[in-house]
Amino acid sequence: MVDPRVRRFSGPIAAFAAMVAIVMATGAVLFARKIGFDGGHVQAFYLGSEATFAPPRSLAGLLEVAVPHLLAVPLLLFVTLHLVAFALVARRRPFALLAGITWGCATVGIGVGFAIRFAWPALAPLKVVAFVGLEVTMLAWLLLLAAAVLPPFRGESRAGGLTASEAAPPRAARW
Amino acid sequence: MRFLVQPNPAVLDRARPPVRAFLAFAALLLVGWAASRAAHGALTPDGLARILEPSPGERFGPLALWEEVHQGAFLYGFLLLTVGSLLVVSPVAPGLRNALVGLATAAALVDLLAPFLPVAWPGFPGWAELRIGAFALAMATLLAAVVVAWATFGREARRTGG
Repeated sequence: MVDPRVRRFSGPIAAFAAMVAIVMATGAVLFARKIGFDGGHVQAFYLGSEATFAPPRSLAGLLEVAVPHLLAVPLLLFVTLHLVAFALVARRRPFALLAGITWGCATVGIGVGFAIRFAWPALAPLKVVAFVGLEVTMLAWLLLLAAAVLPPFRGESRAGGLTASEAAPPRAARW
Repeated sequence: MRFLVQPNPAVLDRARPPVRAFLAFAALLLVGWAASRAAHGALTPDGLARILEPSPGERFGPLALWEEVHQGAFLYGFLLLTVGSLLVVSPVAPGLRNALVGLATAAALVDLLAPFLPVAWPGFPGWAELRIGAFALAMATLLAAVVVAWATFGREARRTGG
């Protein structure tokens, strides 16, 4: 069920969702081109490779990428999830589950690079899993956001797995 | 969001100083963004071509292009959401508000996506001029939205509060 008070904000929210979609799409391309989607490439990226004359990543180099992402990713997730929670009267448990997966993937995605480089290179596949998990869950959040702000295709949007039944009394989502 | 969808005159009046401070920083961000592009030579067609045009054999364009679009979309997204939402709760004509947000969004999308034209179609003419024009339009409309929000946010609340 879509909160009617959010309808007035459809324009800015749709613009935000479009830009977040571009951020996620370009992030996927950058991941594919710089790192790669298998454990071997991830290890080569962090530990260096004699074959490609790539040096191991320095702590300063890792921090240069991690620090801006430690602000940008939580901010993006916080705002996106907040908008979905407010725009759609969400069911508490599925919302919390999806939010937990998203936050978990984001945390692992940012932190596991340090572990691969300095502690345990065998964690390399986890970097790929976390990135793919973040991309997939963010796609789900963006689809929910789009469903909340786009004009209904056939009448009002129907209750789905994540959103509450229209028969249920409206309540703010909490998790 | 909860504050924005449940505004009342007293709350809007109290929120005015921090909102204006935020808008001042948003304006500084826009000016700084334009200055940064100028300093990198990205406001001339030749400079843009040097930075972002794909080299021969570079099928997906330079990494710098993808990184710039990645960061640019993040900035545009938050600016459009925050300034657009402030306009919604300000006493602004819906036509003006929709025009500012719509134009800024369209210009931002062209600014972000125009450099991919020579990646998809090598030698695509005029992409750099298109991008520079779109960036100028995006900056102008966002700056106008910031100025309008600065001037109008909480105005009715102040009048009511007397």
